[in-house]
Amino acid sequence: MKRKSWLPVSLALILILTLLSACGGNNNGNNASPSSSASDSASPSASASEPASPSSSASASESAAPSALSGKLVIWTFFDQVKDMAAKFMEKNPGVQVEVKMFPGDQYQTKLLTALQSGKDLPDIFDLERGYIGKFIDSKFLADLSAMGGEDLVKDYVPYVQGLGRSSDGKLKAISDHSSPGGFWYLKETAKKYLGTDDATEIGAMVSDWDKLIETGKKVYDQSGGKVHLIENAGDLFDIMAYNTEPWVKDGALNIDPKWKDTYAVQQKIRENNVDAKLEFMSAGWGTALNSGTVVLTSMPAWAGFMIDNKDDKAVGKFGVASTPLGFYTGGTYRGIYDKSPNKELAYEFIKYIASSEWQTYNLGKTGNMPGLATVYQDNMDSFKSSFFGDQNILKPYYDTVTKLPALSADKYGEEILSLWRKTAGQGVANKTDYDKVVASFKKEVKNAFPELKVD
Amino acid sequence: MNTKINKSFYGYIFIAPFFIGFLLIGLAPILYTFYLSLTKWDGFSDPVYVGAANYTRLIHDSFFFQTIGSTLIIWIMSIVPQILLALGLALILNERFIRGKHFFRAVFYFPHIVTPVTLGVLFSLMFDWQTGSINKVLMNIGLVNDPVNWFNNPWWSRIIVAGVICWQYFGFNLIIFIAGLQGISKEVYEAAEVDGATKPIIIRRIILPLLRPVMLFTFITSVIGGLQLFDAPLMLGDGPGNSTRTMIMYLYETAFKNFDYSYGSAVAYGIFVVVMFFTAITTLATRTKE
Repeated sequence: MKRKSWLPVSLALILILTLLSACGGNNNGNNASPSSSASDSASPSASASEPASPSSSASASESAAPSALSGKLVIWTFFDQVKDMAAKFMEKNPGVQVEVKMFPGDQYQTKLLTALQSGKDLPDIFDLERGYIGKFIDSKFLADLSAMGGEDLVKDYVPYVQGLGRSSDGKLKAISDHSSPGGFWYLKETAKKYLGTDDATEIGAMVSDWDKLIETGKKVYDQSGGKVHLIENAGDLFDIMAYNTEPWVKDGALNIDPKWKDTYAVQQKIRENNVDAKLEFMSAGWGTALNSGTVVLTSMPAWAGFMIDNKDDKAVGKFGVASTPLGFYTGGTYRGIYDKSPNKELAYEFIKYIASSEWQTYNLGKTGNMPGLATVYQDNMDSFKSSFFGDQNILKPYYDTVTKLPALSADKYGEEILSLWRKTAGQGVANKTDYDKVVASFKKEVKNAFPELKVD
Repeated sequence: MNTKINKSFYGYIFIAPFFIGFLLIGLAPILYTFYLSLTKWDGFSDPVYVGAANYTRLIHDSFFFQTIGSTLIIWIMSIVPQILLALGLALILNERFIRGKHFFRAVFYFPHIVTPVTLGVLFSLMFDWQTGSINKVLMNIGLVNDPVNWFNNPWWSRIIVAGVICWQYFGFNLIIFIAGLQGISKEVYEAAEVDGATKPIIIRRIILPLLRPVMLFTFITSVIGGLQLFDAPLMLGDGPGNSTRTMIMYLYETAFKNFDYSYGSAVAYGIFVVVMFFTAITTLATRTKE
């Protein structure tokens, strides 16, 4: 009996211990937030001592003596690289302490909104992603950067980048430190094998419009015996067309740009002719295809370099990027100041730093993220080389792309309606559904999600 | 014996912590949700009172009714095999002469320990129609020539979602059934054996009737749990034509994706009514039989 009973007892012990340790972990988490809130409540006191610092920061901005800055900033983000940003800012301003709180994943926006509603323990600066910036941009939570002199920061910006940070009345509410131009990324080796060249300009010419792209795609499919496809997914056209079409909502009514009909026809043609590999953007298979070359051209934004498998530098110099039939961008991280933050002046200094060419040039070199400042593009146009792309001068095509994109402000419907369209039209392409039927079920979805919109 | 209960004032103090906790954590949010369901609120501005408008919208919302249907279909497709499997295995594992039955009980229980989100991700990777292992296996053994696009077919999608849930919970039900089987007195079996009853007869005439209370327990808990299906299907997506969107997923999408908190609250109350309705039906159905 004794020998038998040790197993359940020890098992129970392990279970209890894990439970307790989990509780302990939770407690730590709980303890951490009061302490951080304590430090938050400490920061107003820091700001109380700050009345000296705003004036000094104002003078700092004039006399360019930023070392005079002091205080503490809290930033909320979903994006890991903000830590680097904060480190650089602190390096420059030793008197400032920047605390970055990271909330990865798509729960961030709910977390942020809930915190903003409660009005407690809030950051001084918070990040907003392109996908939901439209919902926040007109809210009372964002400080008006125009009034703080923000117009000056974005006067040399790429038009579309600064446009997205504006509220519907044209005020600057958030600023991004980068642009997100997209292009066709390709493995030079694969391109040479199936397209006969690895030159970006020549490849760009082969796919300069959709008909040419489909023709090229057919050839690749036949030549490889059905193993290799030209592009990842017909659905990529949603991203490419997203900001090359009219906004989804005009004067409170749903507006379907007629271009979507042509796009849908192209998507069907792409699918019928096996031009695409039917892989979802950012899915596991998508990444494999990008790195192995079973898809020749992958349309993706400049910031997605982390999808390249660069273990032991094996991807260095192996890639090229060609322009897509129409220029596009995907995503973007914007940064705004909480309107009731006690550290607004200091927060503005941070925003000023990330909008500066100093940070954006550094960031371009370090991460390959494209700058938001048109001037940084221009200054590095001939000199910048990215390790993946070898000798290719990638700033030039990207610059051409981003400067052509129209400056539109984000509204609260655009991205959600786009994702409904992506869902219904995507299924339509897969099932070869008639366009009118797709539109009908799309309208039904929109009407249901946003009953306040006029849908004919 | 003194039948009069001593209602000392101190008793209320002792039960107060629970009731205070319940009022703050349980009742207050429920009532606040009801208040929200009578307003228009997107989370950014202040709530505006709109009366029953959200409920009128709910009654005419064909998407909501579709989610009720989908939830029920997925629930039925998961509960039937779940109970059959659990019962069958419980009968086998309850046999005295089966070797390693403790091992199997533990192994069958394992899926229940895994979080539903993990299971959802796992199955979505396995059933990915181009890179998933299921299609690879099917093609390698020659069952199919072309990969099956599982999640493009409403019924396959539902079967997969139901399969995830079935796989997750049959082990749990198995344990409950085994407990129920062990609760049946040995004398009944022995008497039956002495009377010359065969195994099938023992199962039909003795085990199943005596296991009825346990079955009811499983059934009722699974009605409530099954109608609140959320995390695993969320990882697998809405499915073609929203065929695998459950009621709670719809609530989540409305409130936390479209930031329509007020209508989301109304949906929550709608779900409450639906769950109450089916729980009542189950309870009534069991009562009439007794």
